Amino acid sequence: MAAQAQLVSHRRRFLIGLALAALLGAWLGAALLAGSQQAERRDRAERRALVTLSSLTAVLDRTSGGSTQEAAPTETAQAPAASPGTEGGMGLGAEIAAAEQGQAPTSADARGEAVRKAVERFAAAHPEVGAIRVVEFEGILLAASTAPSDRGAKAAPRRLERDEKPLYDLGQRLRAAVEGNRQGAEGAARQPEIGVARQPNGVLILTAPVERGGEVIGMVQMETRAVPEPAAFAWLPFLAAWLAPVLGLLLLSFALGEKRWLLAGAAALVLILDLFLYGRYALQVLAAERRASTQAVAAQIGEESKKAETLLADLSLSPNKPAGQPLAPTLWDVDLFRQSRGLIDASGAPSEGRLGELAGADAGRMTRSVAVLALVSLALLAFVGLGWAVRTGTALVEYRVAYAYTLPASLGMLVLVFFPFFYGIALSFTNANIYNTDKSIFETFVGLQNYIDIITDFHVAHRTAEGLVWDYHNFYYTFLFTVIWTVCNVAIGVSLGLLLALILNLRGFALKPIYRVLLILPWATPNYITSLIFKGMFHSQFGVINQILEMLGGHAVAWFNRPFTSFLAVLTTNGWLSFPFMMVISLGALQSIPADLYEAARVDGASRWQQFRSITLPSLKPALVPAIILSVIWTFNQFNVIYLVSAGEPGGSTEILITQSYKLAFEQYRYGYAAAYSAIIFLILLAYGTWQNKVTGATEAIG
Amino acid sequence: MRPNRSEEPAHWPLHIFVLLMVLITVYPILWVVTIAFSGGQSLAITNVPANATFGERLRAIVPWPAHVSATNFVSLFRDQPFARWLLNSVVVAGMTTILGVALACTAAYAFSRFRFPGRRVGLMAFLVSQMFPGTLMLIPLFIILVQWLKLGSTFTGLVLIYTVTAIPFCVWMMKGYFDTIPKELEESALIDGASQATIFFRIILPLAKPAVAVTALFSFMTGWNEFIQAATFMNREDMYTGPVGLRFFVGGFSQQWGYFAAGSIVAAIPVMALFLFLQKYLVSGLTAGAVKG
Amino acid sequence: MRSYFFRVTLALALLLVFPLCALAQKEIVVWHGYRGGEKEAFEKVVDNFNKANAGKIKVTTLAVPYDAFADKITAAVPRGKGPDVFIFAQDRLGGWIAAGNTVEPLDFFLDPAIKGRYLKATLDAMTYQGTIYGLPLNFKVITLIYNKKLVPAPPKTTAELETMAKKFTNAQAGRFGLVYWYSDFYYHAALMNGFGGGVFLGRKPTVNSAQNVASLNYLLTWINQGFMPAEPSTALITSLFNQGKAAMVFSGPWFLGEIDKGIEYGLAPLPTISEAGNKPMRPWITVEGVYVAAPSKNKDAAYEFAKYLTDVPAAKVMALEGRQTPANKGVYADPAVANDPILKAFRQQVDVAVPMPNLPEMSMVWSPVTTAMNVIAKKAATPKAAMDQAQKEVVERINNLLKK
Repeated sequence: MAAQAQLVSHRRRFLIGLALAALLGAWLGAALLAGSQQAERRDRAERRALVTLSSLTAVLDRTSGGSTQEAAPTETAQAPAASPGTEGGMGLGAEIAAAEQGQAPTSADARGEAVRKAVERFAAAHPEVGAIRVVEFEGILLAASTAPSDRGAKAAPRRLERDEKPLYDLGQRLRAAVEGNRQGAEGAARQPEIGVARQPNGVLILTAPVERGGEVIGMVQMETRAVPEPAAFAWLPFLAAWLAPVLGLLLLSFALGEKRWLLAGAAALVLILDLFLYGRYALQVLAAERRASTQAVAAQIGEESKKAETLLADLSLSPNKPAGQPLAPTLWDVDLFRQSRGLIDASGAPSEGRLGELAGADAGRMTRSVAVLALVSLALLAFVGLGWAVRTGTALVEYRVAYAYTLPASLGMLVLVFFPFFYGIALSFTNANIYNTDKSIFETFVGLQNYIDIITDFHVAHRTAEGLVWDYHNFYYTFLFTVIWTVCNVAIGVSLGLLLALILNLRGFALKPIYRVLLILPWATPNYITSLIFKGMFHSQFGVINQILEMLGGHAVAWFNRPFTSFLAVLTTNGWLSFPFMMVISLGALQSIPADLYEAARVDGASRWQQFRSITLPSLKPALVPAIILSVIWTFNQFNVIYLVSAGEPGGSTEILITQSYKLAFEQYRYGYAAAYSAIIFLILLAYGTWQNKVTGATEAIG
Repeated sequence: MRPNRSEEPAHWPLHIFVLLMVLITVYPILWVVTIAFSGGQSLAITNVPANATFGERLRAIVPWPAHVSATNFVSLFRDQPFARWLLNSVVVAGMTTILGVALACTAAYAFSRFRFPGRRVGLMAFLVSQMFPGTLMLIPLFIILVQWLKLGSTFTGLVLIYTVTAIPFCVWMMKGYFDTIPKELEESALIDGASQATIFFRIILPLAKPAVAVTALFSFMTGWNEFIQAATFMNREDMYTGPVGLRFFVGGFSQQWGYFAAGSIVAAIPVMALFLFLQKYLVSGLTAGAVKG
Repeated sequence: MRSYFFRVTLALALLLVFPLCALAQKEIVVWHGYRGGEKEAFEKVVDNFNKANAGKIKVTTLAVPYDAFADKITAAVPRGKGPDVFIFAQDRLGGWIAAGNTVEPLDFFLDPAIKGRYLKATLDAMTYQGTIYGLPLNFKVITLIYNKKLVPAPPKTTAELETMAKKFTNAQAGRFGLVYWYSDFYYHAALMNGFGGGVFLGRKPTVNSAQNVASLNYLLTWINQGFMPAEPSTALITSLFNQGKAAMVFSGPWFLGEIDKGIEYGLAPLPTISEAGNKPMRPWITVEGVYVAAPSKNKDAAYEFAKYLTDVPAAKVMALEGRQTPANKGVYADPAVANDPILKAFRQQVDVAVPMPNLPEMSMVWSPVTTAMNVIAKKAATPKAAMDQAQKEVVERINNLLKK
């Protein structure tokens, strides 16, 4: 009877599980597809707007013909480089004065007039374009504007007002980006040279730098209505992806009967097939979107280049720049670095080669997405189908007292420890660094690259004329050092602490309370200062340790010059800092041993050592083992002592993993890489903890 | 009842060993005291000529200031509200202790006495939480505490963080200790009709006094010495804690070690006082009679 | 009973009036890292500002310990939970700008008159990629500090310095002619810049440039002459100087507070380098700037405060009471400041000083060059080899940031 009920519930469970899993997979897949579609359409609108912007800047570039205007900015540029200003600060005021004189007011006016005219005509020819504003940095000037608010008293040219500061700052940011990018790749990472801001009402605000004579002298901002056509949610494929596998399993289950594992295999297979097919479908949809985008952009380029030519003719300007460059509309499909995307070939048609490359990249990404989706859905399927869900539910009810007891502590841990933990793990899969903190995790995602870089770096040592030289910054060297550091420290801490606790637990031992209080002093005093005192004590010329060595007839040791002596110094410091804690733990643990056990042993004639082995140690185990495990973990991650005492000297040889990870994050700004370092530290400790737990059975409940 | 005298080892060699340990323990602390009472601000260094006499060398390694002065202590309390900051620390560390011990006791009791699905995973999870290095954790903590929970600039926020930091050790410590308390005690009490709560508060907790003492001391220390989170999450000077106040003496270019040393000594006093108070619980063992009933 | 009604009326009146005040008055929060005398002077300036702007702007301050300050800003400011204004040295500036939404550019506010009131080097330190991000408040620079009893007239050239130093030195008795933290890159920068070297050219690291190596070779000749102690550290330098066992020290304003009362000391500009065509030693300056936080809701008021804080009256208080060396050059015309030998000396030194780079890449330089400096000071490698290695590491670190 019971067996029968279970069999029935197998099939039902798998069907429910598959329905839920397929729903999850199909829904997530459809949402992802809709998202990419939407993104592509937004991108399309943006690219078209960028073509218009390129056309606008091309026209503006050609309004400033003539040579007198070109001369002014170069003079200004040279002024700051002239004198380093030995008369302290006298230089600056004079420079500004010089710069103001160097400007030729008449030509600037004429130039301004030409710019305003060009902007007005351009706006007239582009009804879809809203306000266009041109700002010149010199004098913080609004050089031209077609914005309705900039009429009458506020008409260009005028100085920008306080509430227009963001406009000016944006221009300056673009200028800095252009200059920074020009200074070459060895400086900062590349920065976008075009500003894109999307307003909630769909208006796109594009900003580009305006250059003259190779120098950014201003900016142009263009508002345009670029509302992407909304992509309809494709209900039919979604419903098919959801219901088809359920139907399939239902049919199969009649054939398969009630065999649990066969059902599980069939359900998984159906689910994977389903998601795979959905992925293929999504890929086709996306490819069509991409092609449509580039066709739209190509059409836009054709239209814009015609408009630009007419406009230039109207304004009686040469389409050739002063330097002799003709208009190059096929390069107007630019990315935010003002580089051509290369999707339009010289004839103005979509470039099939580049489109194919993009499709290939899409397929790769799609495969990964489908794999992740499949994993998530399969997990849900297994959870429900194999009956874990039901079991979890019943356990929650049955053991509610135990859960209630542990809930408050677990809740606190969950919120304040595990969330940051997952943040760290997520970070470790990115190449997040100081230059891309504003990007989302998906844009900086690099998969396992950081882990691979760390683990496959085997430059542990290299051969030189003097023999084998350790590479102290290598992960494996640091790891080895960290292990030695941890083992030595915990050994010292535990043996000293336990020994002292045993002595101080002796009955009738005089002065016990006083000893105890004095011996916990290292724990009670802030370790920041005591660490530095130790650093001072190990000073080669003026440290107490060397003074004592010399008093006793020895030689002074330059402690931080050699890895081994440097290690001894940090070990001494940390040993001194950590034994009181172990002593206190051991003292507490010793109290749990009933005195009559010893009485009995003594009666049996056991020696002191035998008593220690067979009574003291086993009784200490429950309290001591967790303390040892935790102190291994803490010592492994003991930051302060290394950082303050040896600071890794000499040459990073006494660095441990945690100080290395700190330096990666805060000296080299490689947050993602440092997070991967941390995650590896975590994995090492996890492996250790699991092993230790197996050996000692610390998580076992008492019988 | 005294055990046979002849079996006890002679105590004097042990005294010598312990005294030696005390000397090693206290010596660096004495340098802290020396700097604190020197009236100056620099870290002490022993500076003796290369051909110094034995006496000169001996003087150089004895931690004693050239002139004794209490000005550092006076300035410590006069130039900044250090007393106020210490009081804040007492409040924060005290609350951490109470909350930490309470949460750890209940959780540890469940882990020790109940067998339930997820018990091992849960215990491991507490351990695992200690394994991920905290170097990159300040920003996510800031997001949770200040942006989500709106607990910036509150003692509650600090107490929560410190408690959570201290809990894993406390749970494991208490669980280990609870494991050593025989189950028969509770079983007989249950038969006598005692409730679960009565058993916990009347039988288990009193027997676990040494572990509670250790746990309490540990929780207190966690809240007492922490600096970076307190400095980051508190936006009011009158809500800073003692360690934050101490770190004001460490600047980018110069450090006032005299004040820092004086502050460290003052900061160590409450810890010592707490330890003195907890000592009697720490060494109050299970007496044979109570256990075996 | 009457008093009760009176109180109620008063309370009601206050309730009506207060919101109006509150609406008009802008609250500005300022974070700084000062304590002691500097903090008192700073708070006095803030009080003066609050009095002058009563009803319009109210500034409140928060002191943050140096060790937590940068992290606190990095965590709080970009999330809009920070202050309106904060004061910090320029070394983190580039990093915060790269991270974004932290420091507000100020070019828009700055007219030539405002720019003209600061010492040029201090304003340069506030400039990143051609944009000014903060108003310079004060600067710190190392200079020559000497014991007047032991050095009657400070040396003008390094040749003079070497002669004097050798004459005074007696290593047996623990006496040294020149004591400074020569193995620290920050201190060495004075020689390095004097030789025409530097850390960056544009944004490209030039750690192993010929000039840098020449300056280190020159340092080695100093070390070899034995007038400087081995393994220098701040504690050692202070201790030697206070015991009258060091004739001359290269250090900055932070050192003055550690000198015992009994020691009579003088300040002079760092000597010119005889071996580098008598060019001056050019120490790095670090400048504390007043920054307006990018997410601040009261940027205008915040800027007003920053302007006030770096103007002459405030600079005078910060100089004479807070013992800072202001970046405002006008304040040095004030007789009380002009006659102060210490302020005068630092003001003189700044004329040849170089702003320490504020690029974020700078933090990738410190660790490799520190290692190199230690190796060189211990003579474990030649300056050329050590700096080549450092350059290699710096380039590697910078390139690591660009990898995708």
